Amino acid sequence: MIEKLKFFLAVTGNNLWQFRTRNIFSVTIICLSFLTVGIFMSLSNNLRATARELSNNMTVAFYLDKSLSAAAVDAVRQEIGRPGFVESVKVVTPDEALERFRAGFPELADIVAGLKANPFPPSIELRVNARASASKEVVAFVDSMKTRPGVTDVLFNRDWVEKMQGFSRLAGAIGAFLGGILILTSFFIISNVVKLNVFSRKNEIEILRLVGATNLFIRIPFWLEGITLGFLGSLLSLGLLFIVINLFPVYLGASLGALQELLRFRYPDLTQAVILLCGGAATGFIGSATSVSKFLKV
Amino acid sequence: MIELFHIWKQYQKPYWALSDVSIQIHDCDFYFITGPSGSGKTTLLKTIFRETLPTEGQILIKGVNILKIPDNRIYTLRRTMGIVFQDFRLMFHRTVFDNVAVPLQVIGVGRKEIRRRVFSTLQKVNLHQKMWELPSRLSYGEQQRVAIARAVVNNPKIILADEPTGNLDPELAFEIITLFKEINRQGATVIIGSHDRELIRHFGNNILFLQKGKIIGKEAHA
Repeated sequence: MIEKLKFFLAVTGNNLWQFRTRNIFSVTIICLSFLTVGIFMSLSNNLRATARELSNNMTVAFYLDKSLSAAAVDAVRQEIGRPGFVESVKVVTPDEALERFRAGFPELADIVAGLKANPFPPSIELRVNARASASKEVVAFVDSMKTRPGVTDVLFNRDWVEKMQGFSRLAGAIGAFLGGILILTSFFIISNVVKLNVFSRKNEIEILRLVGATNLFIRIPFWLEGITLGFLGSLLSLGLLFIVINLFPVYLGASLGALQELLRFRYPDLTQAVILLCGGAATGFIGSATSVSKFLKV
Repeated sequence: MIELFHIWKQYQKPYWALSDVSIQIHDCDFYFITGPSGSGKTTLLKTIFRETLPTEGQILIKGVNILKIPDNRIYTLRRTMGIVFQDFRLMFHRTVFDNVAVPLQVIGVGRKEIRRRVFSTLQKVNLHQKMWELPSRLSYGEQQRVAIARAVVNNPKIILADEPTGNLDPELAFEIITLFKEINRQGATVIIGSHDRELIRHFGNNILFLQKGKIIGKEAHA
């Protein structure tokens, strides 16, 4: 068994070297295909992570009527703090709001100084716990509070979370679509490269048949060849992706301005990297197996 | 024993490559099949190692009807035979050693045993000193001896050779047939397709004459 394995590996290595030009071409195409998938996967990772960060810090600001008494404000605070998904509730007085504004916009200090009265209403800030961030219960509660007497406006950052999640899904879908087409191209290229290799080795295959080789014995080196090409292509794409991720902020980051954070790439995690590598090997195997069974009449 | 019963083979209508060929070849026979080009020598040999199926007839090897062996089990038949061709059919990008080792690698023989058997076989054909050469650097006669070494390395009981001396000058041809004769003396049945009358006259004790696919004569000498 070990002898046979050594034989297969030697034949595969020999074939890869003997037809290196076409094999390098094939690996390059596979690499570019998987790099495309990797880039979109990485972009999608970032958008998903941003959405997750936003949903972990999901807050709802309830702006109250200025005329509400302290007791009425406290009643609203108690009502808001009641549901199970509430992490914390904080009352922000008009004075605190003004102070925040001053700290947040120091360049507008002159305008603030010129104000005769504090324009900010009291508000209540609610922080939703991470587990409930996307639940319908939160949305229903916020909607019900919008119509409560004493509440004038509600600011809910859920819309941003949903947008981020939408972008993430879009990036994933574009990646899957483009990657799918390119992987299909890789599949046909591997299939044709292996077909060429089968034709180039027709004489050798004939000899193997005449000395009593089984069909499996003849096919295995071609399968290994396809797997190696696919694996090398996807491995190379992971290396290139690493370079892209590190060079992207250096060359393009600044020109993107505010979008920089959203379009930042995150390196695929271990599972995704393994999926890319296995995907490459599987593409190679299927490509060569199809070709071998079609064109190798043994 | 190899027995062919009423073998007919048609590649294209209305021509018959073989017409009602029946022969018996006993174990350890040294057998020549001869006739002009297109007489059916190659087709007859091909039917014996089941490269081609006869249109009609039966072929028994040691009592087994080889026409009933399923396609995916043909390798079991081929492993009992050694086959030599006029064009040598060597792997030119691999060494002499690698070429001769192939039949042993196919059946999963261990590396040490492969080395021992390949070396001893190459000694028999006097090529052990060129074991690590590429076949393209050898003469035609040496290349044919590599092909013969590959055919016998597995100690098969049947050797089939289709025009093994076709590309060689008379002296080398004589040398190659002497080698086959030696292999035959060691217990293998050797069947050679050839149109070289000189060689057949010198070596042939069992001769089958074919013309246009039909047997036109048989000779058997003790």
